[in-house]
Amino acid sequence: MDASLLDVALAALSVLLEPERLFYLGMGTVIGLALGIMPGVGGVAGLALLLPFTFNLDAYSAFAFMLGLGAVTSTSDTIPAVLFGVPGTSASQATVLDGHSMAKNGEAGRALSAAYAASLIGGLWGAFLLGLTIPVLRPILMNINSPELLAFSIFGLSMVSALSGSMPLRGLSMAGFGILLSMVGGDPQTGQERWTFDTLYLVDDLPLLPVALGLFALPEICDVAARRTAISDSSKYELKEGMLVGLRDAFRNWWLVAKCGSLGAMIGAIPGLGSAVVDWFAYGYAAKTVKDADKTFGKGDVRGVIAPESANNAKEGGSLVPTIAFGVPGSASMALLLGGFMIHGLVPGKSMVTDNLDVTYTMVWSIALANILGAGLCFAFSGQFAKIATLRYTLVIPAIISIMMVGAYQASADWGDLFTLLIFGVVGWTMKHLKWPRPPLILGFVLGGIVEDYMRISYQIYEWAWILKPVCAVVLTLAALSLLQPLFTRIFIKKEKVEFFAFSGPQIRLIDLFPIGLAALLGWALVSSFGWDEDSQGAPQVIVLITLAITAITLTNAIFRRGLAGYSEGSALDLSSDLGGLSRGSYNLRVLEFFAWLCGFLFAWWVGGILLASTLFVIGYMRIRGSESVVMTTAYVLVIGCLIYFVFDQGFHIAWPESLVRTLFPELRGIIPTI
Amino acid sequence: MKKLLQSAVIGLACVTASAGVLADAVADFYKGKDVELYIGYKPGGGYDGYARLIARHMGKHIPGNPNIVPKNMPGAGSVKLTNWLWEGAPQDGTAIGAVSRGVPFEPLLGNKKAKFSADEFHWIGSANNEVSICATTKKTGITSWKDLRSREVLAGGNGSGSDTDQFPKLLNYVLDTKFKVVGPYGGGSDVVKAMIAGELDARCGWSWSSIKSKSKDLLESGDLVLLMQMSTVKHPELPDVPLVMDLVRSYNSKKQTQMLNLMFARQGLGRPYVAPPGVPADRAAALKAAFTATMSDPEFLADAKKGGFDLSPISGDQVAGLVNTAYGTPDSVIQEVISAIR
Repeated sequence: MDASLLDVALAALSVLLEPERLFYLGMGTVIGLALGIMPGVGGVAGLALLLPFTFNLDAYSAFAFMLGLGAVTSTSDTIPAVLFGVPGTSASQATVLDGHSMAKNGEAGRALSAAYAASLIGGLWGAFLLGLTIPVLRPILMNINSPELLAFSIFGLSMVSALSGSMPLRGLSMAGFGILLSMVGGDPQTGQERWTFDTLYLVDDLPLLPVALGLFALPEICDVAARRTAISDSSKYELKEGMLVGLRDAFRNWWLVAKCGSLGAMIGAIPGLGSAVVDWFAYGYAAKTVKDADKTFGKGDVRGVIAPESANNAKEGGSLVPTIAFGVPGSASMALLLGGFMIHGLVPGKSMVTDNLDVTYTMVWSIALANILGAGLCFAFSGQFAKIATLRYTLVIPAIISIMMVGAYQASADWGDLFTLLIFGVVGWTMKHLKWPRPPLILGFVLGGIVEDYMRISYQIYEWAWILKPVCAVVLTLAALSLLQPLFTRIFIKKEKVEFFAFSGPQIRLIDLFPIGLAALLGWALVSSFGWDEDSQGAPQVIVLITLAITAITLTNAIFRRGLAGYSEGSALDLSSDLGGLSRGSYNLRVLEFFAWLCGFLFAWWVGGILLASTLFVIGYMRIRGSESVVMTTAYVLVIGCLIYFVFDQGFHIAWPESLVRTLFPELRGIIPTI
Repeated sequence: MKKLLQSAVIGLACVTASAGVLADAVADFYKGKDVELYIGYKPGGGYDGYARLIARHMGKHIPGNPNIVPKNMPGAGSVKLTNWLWEGAPQDGTAIGAVSRGVPFEPLLGNKKAKFSADEFHWIGSANNEVSICATTKKTGITSWKDLRSREVLAGGNGSGSDTDQFPKLLNYVLDTKFKVVGPYGGGSDVVKAMIAGELDARCGWSWSSIKSKSKDLLESGDLVLLMQMSTVKHPELPDVPLVMDLVRSYNSKKQTQMLNLMFARQGLGRPYVAPPGVPADRAAALKAAFTATMSDPEFLADAKKGGFDLSPISGDQVAGLVNTAYGTPDSVIQEVISAIR
């Protein structure tokens, strides 16, 4: 760093260290932490709500407040991810796999403190990289155009191989399924509706949040409900000891933290690549590179927590780059920040890295300081939070379900969000228990749409010549290598004998219904795509056919090789499912019962609004399912009711769906809240 | 004469009295109530920003001073909200909407999911109109709109139904320009970035207010070449940029003017506010009057200035006029527009 740059950076720090500005930075940080904890309620809604409030602040305070809020939601979202397996925002999905496994093993405190330390170092490292490189990033980004973005996204998809455990074919078919899910909705280019069932909801595509919560969060809660025990029966460590061990873990793995932090900052800086997958990239990268990952990842390896957590905090710094250099916001919260720019008369572009470099540096410092403060606060409380994992299930589930339902609904204020949540909850639970890896599905879902869009743009401008652009050629080669690497490793390095043509007599089992059902769904998807606008057919049909082929191979493999000696299904890179000593039949019955509770929740919501639904659910679950005291239940109802009323109804002004009560008695609107 | 005067006085008294009674009836209704202002987009965008700004100030100009509560009901580019206001929403004046400037014309342009007739809504007003610009960069060598007819020009589009997709296609049809629309880019700013990087030549469908705020540097450095403005009237700040309606006049064709009018009338709507068709006339009138009063409220103006919001208000009746004119377009012209923008 040359001296003048250092001077500017230090001057910017002293600007930010004014007490008033620090105060707003702190306030933003605290609000961001609170929003990150609540599953589904990310920083964006809060930022939109508080934006007018920043009009009256000076520019530095306003940006400090906004960046503080945005930067730490991915610090506190770790809490529900680790404790309940419920990602607080889409940035902590990957943390669930090992973080929640650790909590189940009684290591919640260790997981949390390792996560905060990783968040902190990752966030600082990301901010540092940003500060160092920001003057030269603009020209570099000038050379990253649609074909390069396409190549990066395809490389991202190739991460599937790292996220499928030892079941590459199942991983591929799930990735294909995910890509197809990303195509549900109005075709962005032609407007052709694809698999929308003639609903207005699906025209806008499936929203990520309810899908992710359904796939990862509901199955975990469901399993806790079925085991009817606390998430973990014991704490492996004393409070302080666990925290210290976690801290040491993060520092011992500083090299991993630095690498994943750099990865996060880089991905954040590429607009459109989807900050929603940055955690999966880091997790996949770690799963591929760290020692013995294939044995321990998904079972509670602290490195599986450190990798995504260091990356998702670093990405915030990265996503500042396209925002200030081109006015292209890398994320929704950056779009709001861009709104703040105009208010304070700043114009994104060249001037932000020349004349206004000092302003840019105060932003970098804001992110850095918010990370320190956020991680510090969380760290201080992590021991207390860890105790939640040892609470009775009847005390934990009502709150999570109530907040998660509201969080999912908030995605697009539509019943569709809740149906999506439940449907993907069933899909996710089935996948988890039948060992079909879930991460590839979410990766395909997030990246599929991006790949299709950039593919179209690149083809329209360059036809197939885009592949020959130097960056594209290199990245695509890497993608191919990454995809084939597991096969190479098996054949050439481990010298395994891969018998392609060894079969036994057919053995069909009930679990084969999953791939059979998937194949049937794909067949239906193919048939219903005939007759679409010609420009909208090609990509989905190719993906359907490939996915169908892979699914068929998987199914054939299972049926015709089960009888072979030494056959093993392999293991998905996913949370283990422990039946808590029950037989499969009675366990599944309990799962069904829990889904009935959820359906009851939705039914009550439809009849009389969310307040009624959450009240009935809390009372029912705590008194009928469990045997909590009346006092405890009453207090619980009041707390949840106040949260929903004051935060979501009066604060966020969520547009609740019209309930039956309101349809029948329209005059009650405005008298009874949330109907 | 005396009698005439007498009856005039009595008449006037009656009118004043009934107006008073009416205002009282409206005030009684709104007193202590919330008016929900539904926004057809997610939090964070321009429609959301303007609506929240207006929600902070409009309540005190409505008789009875209701509290205005902004709520987001996103979906299908505000088609979902407009459908709901048409049929599902309370029709008593406690639910109003902020919808896109294009949505009133969706049923005309063949969107079967748009199930309303926009000329029957009560239009409340709009805080700004938006002139849309067709612009290129200096390095393309294109200096005037006429050059668009002599060479292929890559224009960035944001996908089916977006201005950046429909405008250049219609211009190709009506003005013989040679745009090739490339897309779908994720957002308008992605198109601008691709233009700066040289991947694209032009963006056609770019709000003047947005150029002024977000791309001021390009404008001031002279890297941006403004080729034409698209609306039904010129923007006062842009006297030298040709207006698309003037360009087509040289063709002397009524049909082509009607086509452009149907497409660009939306610009005059800016970011419109609307009340459901079933709202009683006196309350609808009160909402319109309150909107107009808000637009000259000093506190509102100060707040708007602080937030960097451009203002050029038009009244509810003016919005309704634009919508009604578009709904009077002959069917054959509408069909031609539909096929031109496909």
